[in-house]
Amino acid sequence: MKFSFTDDQRLFAEGLRELLANECPPTLVRDVWENGTGHSPELWAHLSGMGVLSMLAPESAGGMGGSFVDAILLFQELGRAAVPGPVLEHMAVAAPALASTTFGASLIAGDSIATLWVDDSPYVAHAGVADLILRDDHVLESFRTTDAHGMDGGRRLFTVSGGNRTDATPNVAGLDPFDAMALASAAYLIGLSERMIEIAAEYARVREQFGKPIGSFQAVKYLMSDALLKVEFAKAPTYRAAFSASIGADTLVRDISMAKALASEAAYRTSRSTMQVHGGIGYTWEADLQLFMKKSWALMRSYGDANFHRRRVSGFVLA
Amino acid sequence: MDLRETVDEAAFRLEARTWLEANVPDSSLPSFDTAEGFALHRQWEKKLYDGRWSAVSWPEQYGGRGADYIKWLIFEEEYYRAGAPGRVNQNGIFLLGPTIMEVGTDTQKERFLPTMASSEIVWGQAWSEPNAGSDLAGIKSKALRDGDDWILNGQKIWASRAVWADWCFGIFRTDPEAERHRGLTFILCPLDLPGITVRPIAQLDGDTGFAEIFFDDVRVPVENTLGEVNKGWGVAMATAGFERGVSLRSPARFSEAVNRLVALWKRLGDKSDTALADAVTDVWMQAEGYRLHTYQTVTGMLEGRPIGAEASLNKIFWSEMDVRIHEIALQIIGPEAERMEGPLERWVDGFLFSLSGPIYAGTHAIQRNIIADRVLQLPKGM
Ligand SMILES: Cc1cc2nc3c(=O)[nH]c(=O)nc-3n(C[C@H](O)[C@H](O)[C@H](O)COP(=O)(O)OP(=O)(O)OC[C@H]3O[C@@H](n4cnc5c(N)ncnc54)[C@H](O)[C@@H]3O)c2cc1C
Repeated sequence: MKFSFTDDQRLFAEGLRELLANECPPTLVRDVWENGTGHSPELWAHLSGMGVLSMLAPESAGGMGGSFVDAILLFQELGRAAVPGPVLEHMAVAAPALASTTFGASLIAGDSIATLWVDDSPYVAHAGVADLILRDDHVLESFRTTDAHGMDGGRRLFTVSGGNRTDATPNVAGLDPFDAMALASAAYLIGLSERMIEIAAEYARVREQFGKPIGSFQAVKYLMSDALLKVEFAKAPTYRAAFSASIGADTLVRDISMAKALASEAAYRTSRSTMQVHGGIGYTWEADLQLFMKKSWALMRSYGDANFHRRRVSGFVLA
Repeated sequence: MDLRETVDEAAFRLEARTWLEANVPDSSLPSFDTAEGFALHRQWEKKLYDGRWSAVSWPEQYGGRGADYIKWLIFEEEYYRAGAPGRVNQNGIFLLGPTIMEVGTDTQKERFLPTMASSEIVWGQAWSEPNAGSDLAGIKSKALRDGDDWILNGQKIWASRAVWADWCFGIFRTDPEAERHRGLTFILCPLDLPGITVRPIAQLDGDTGFAEIFFDDVRVPVENTLGEVNKGWGVAMATAGFERGVSLRSPARFSEAVNRLVALWKRLGDKSDTALADAVTDVWMQAEGYRLHTYQTVTGMLEGRPIGAEASLNKIFWSEMDVRIHEIALQIIGPEAERMEGPLERWVDGFLFSLSGPIYAGTHAIQRNIIADRVLQLPKGM
């Protein structure tokens, strides 16, 4: 037994972190929110160039041929930067699932953009910037979109109508799109949580009240360390789920659900605690924290919320 | 003990219900954190005032009905039951008004209370500063005496509804030499005076629900002082406890919210999910418990046992309960929980706002410190 990532996996993730520190600072995320697109073509090109978008697509089709273990830290890094746009949908599902279809080449090259319509939601995230939408059994092109006013400006919601259909049977390493997204978003939520904790810890070091940094107050220390506790103990289950996906383990669905349930709860707890640490400024539009909080509130409820996934785990455990 | 309503109370409830049913607008008003919504809410307040419902617990001479706290709670229940608009002048009517009645001069009462009850003047609370939030006694904004005027300088922040409010009530440092809590004075100030700049601040939902207020050599007459000079801290704290404990969030608000939650669960909840059913029931019990606790508290007040530091218990209880109600609602509404506009947007707005409850009017940590120090009499930490 060995529970760690290879040097290559870690270096790739560090490289992505560096790229995102430069190319996806909160100012960019905010621009993308405020210009109404929810997507940055420049950032997309960088992610494509680095091979992030095609990580899970097979080499035979021009992808990186990575497994979910290769991808899981990348999802987490994307979360740390609250990367906007349909990156998860494209990377975790559309590009690998459609690799061998006529859509494959341009998706893998990042020239066309795909998003997903997987659960029974009436809304499709990112449809406004997507060239195609992948559904359970078909691909949709040339559809019409209507803004549904999503809370997260980096994950705009739409209702979708019309469009041309092409049959497809999406499947990524034996996972249906819903489960692949549950896994990817669990890791993304962990990344978001880590970043929220960093932002709040930094604030708690510099903000003073009663002549002391607020981080010196036990109440603030506990808020922060309790959040960290939740986040740290969501990580190993999430990495395990990635491993289960990479070998097609029998326990795969249970493992993904465990990861998504824990990561969703950790992210929610973290959002509340870090907002609380900020006091009044945590409740403003101008504080960067909101970019991460709102993304976490959107993702914790997408692809099954904690309650859904806990019930699925209980279906296995208590069977 | 008799938890049944008296004949008089029942008659009062009926009168309130009848009036509200006839007068509450059919469709909900736009948020009072927008210019249009603010104006419409002000109009609504005028209507309430004309019916003498805007400040039921105030004396009749100032536009109230002289109702006791029990009746005030009954009115609140009817108000929320009727789905009536939010109270745009709540800082005035529920916080400043009672303070003026307690420490104001007769002239001040005549001058400020009727226009407050009618919302001809809407009030903002200018207490917090950029560097004085939890540590409110650390405020730096100054008032210097110049003849019959105060000259105000400094900066306030997070003043709710101050973008469109007419006046504010602030605390200013008047004796820089004195120990922190001493040397502060409570001053009332119009927001359209020369030297005042109001900068709107957008909240989590994007609306400018609060503002920064900059004072640059602003002159106000000394007769705008409330209470004694250098005794402003005591004046501010006199009503802060009542605000935290009772008046800011009456139980009716939560009873109405849990009733809506139960209806939502019946309509959309997954009935096979027993954990969800338990959560709805649990928060219903919390709202009911808070209602009972409040009736007990105000009965005590009527019998001469004023609410003290234990108001901080209430503040923690209601703000956590409010978050919980909305968390459960968002779980039930699923994909709609991600939308800022739509048929269920009220739950989403309510969720965002509920998250500020553990921060405004003193954070949880500050309330817990008050409980520990003053109710439990634990040794002081700092
Ligand atoms: C929606 C909203 C409306 C508001 N409306 C008004 C208004 O109308 N008028 C007005 O004057 N103000 C208003 N406020 C301001 C509010 O009262 C302050 O935000 C609040 O008191 C906290 O102060 P702060 O923001 O400076 O946070 P800080 O005091 O900086 O607190 C940051 C964190 O440090 C913690 N902390 C600070 N001191 C201690 C300690 N000693 N022990 C343990 N933990 C500590 C806090 O609990 C918090 O978690 C409003 C705030 C909000 C969010």
